[in-house]
Amino acid sequence: MLKQILNKFLILNDVQAAIVIQENGEIIQSMKSGIVFKEDLQGVLSAVMLDSKKTAAQFGNASISMVFVEFSDYFLILGPIMEEFYLAIIAKNTANIGQITYEMKKNQDAIVSLL
Amino acid sequence: MIDQLPEGNSIGWMQAPPQWIFTHTVRFIGVVRVVIQDGEGFILIKKGKPLVYYFKHGRIELRGHAALDYFSSQPTIEINLCRYTPEEFSQALKICDVGKTVPETVDVQKQAPAVPAQAGVVEKTMEDSTVISQPEQPPPVLTEKPELMRRNPVTAVPAKPVAAVTERPIIPEPAILDDPDIKIIGQIKKLNGIVAISVFNDDRNILLMGDVEIDPLLKIARTMLATTKRITPHLDWGSFIHMTLQIPEGNVIVAPYHENNLCILTTRTINIGHIRRILRDLQQDRSGEVMV
Repeated sequence: MLKQILNKFLILNDVQAAIVIQENGEIIQSMKSGIVFKEDLQGVLSAVMLDSKKTAAQFGNASISMVFVEFSDYFLILGPIMEEFYLAIIAKNTANIGQITYEMKKNQDAIVSLL
Repeated sequence: MIDQLPEGNSIGWMQAPPQWIFTHTVRFIGVVRVVIQDGEGFILIKKGKPLVYYFKHGRIELRGHAALDYFSSQPTIEINLCRYTPEEFSQALKICDVGKTVPETVDVQKQAPAVPAQAGVVEKTMEDSTVISQPEQPPPVLTEKPELMRRNPVTAVPAKPVAAVTERPIIPEPAILDDPDIKIIGQIKKLNGIVAISVFNDDRNILLMGDVEIDPLLKIARTMLATTKRITPHLDWGSFIHMTLQIPEGNVIVAPYHENNLCILTTRTINIGHIRRILRDLQQDRSGEVMV
């Protein structure tokens, strides 16, 4: 069921992967298309999640709404789902960010219900 | 006198150490408007040469050396560079009665090398584009929300300006920022939803436009940059463009900018797509031909 939801993201243009992941880097579920996960991807995602959480805390204990890291070829969007669970989307730079973030918000409750 | 000056073409308000003005106006003809607490003043500049210094707070008026010394006694001042046309400049010269004022002015650029060296402080000149930035200070821990990072308007009566300062200001280590850079940063700052923009490096803030407390913001920006430096070697995704942290109050964006970095604080309503495009353009075209 979670795979079906993640698959909705892969339908979007140039989205390469959709991952539900815990802060510690443990992947709960993932769907990918045309991308190879390197071994240290989990470590990378974990670092972004934990560091961002720590950084947001400096804003009067603010919560993270979204983290967006862009490189010249790909970008990563991380959105908190609940507690230490996050939804990570990896996409080519040509992907439509607005569409992705809209889908993330739209599917958040459905993902939470499956965790 | 300030009110009589031609308005000129404003590049935008920014915060910078006073010395920054003299090293960034080599090709500038116009007036640098200065605001310090409740007082205001200006420096009339022709291609890097300051012709008139003036500051007024209440009934106190400072001119020439006295005004310069007061400016220099401030670690940073709020400034607005306003370019003049030749006609406007002529008009300003007349208003300032420059013929009488010139003997009172000081050529800061020529005086700069005479500043006594201080421990750990290096001064160097790099062609005509040198930034003198703020001395390094340990960043305080931020406990406020972004909205609260904006400084409250100063309503208290400031201390009386010091008319004669015996010690010259400390000139910290410079970094590089050209005129086109300032123009680009100013254009970005003018976009809807941009609260503040800073150019900074590992050691210090180089330029700040916007009304925020810089140290807490830089602490956050450096933490974000550290994250990107940690993850980039593990990803085969190309060069780093930017990292954006979105919290309910707004966005903090960090991005490389030439040898330095940018930190942009925005409201939640900002058009992220527009900012993305600008940041990409900045990295693709380092000549400064960026469509903001």
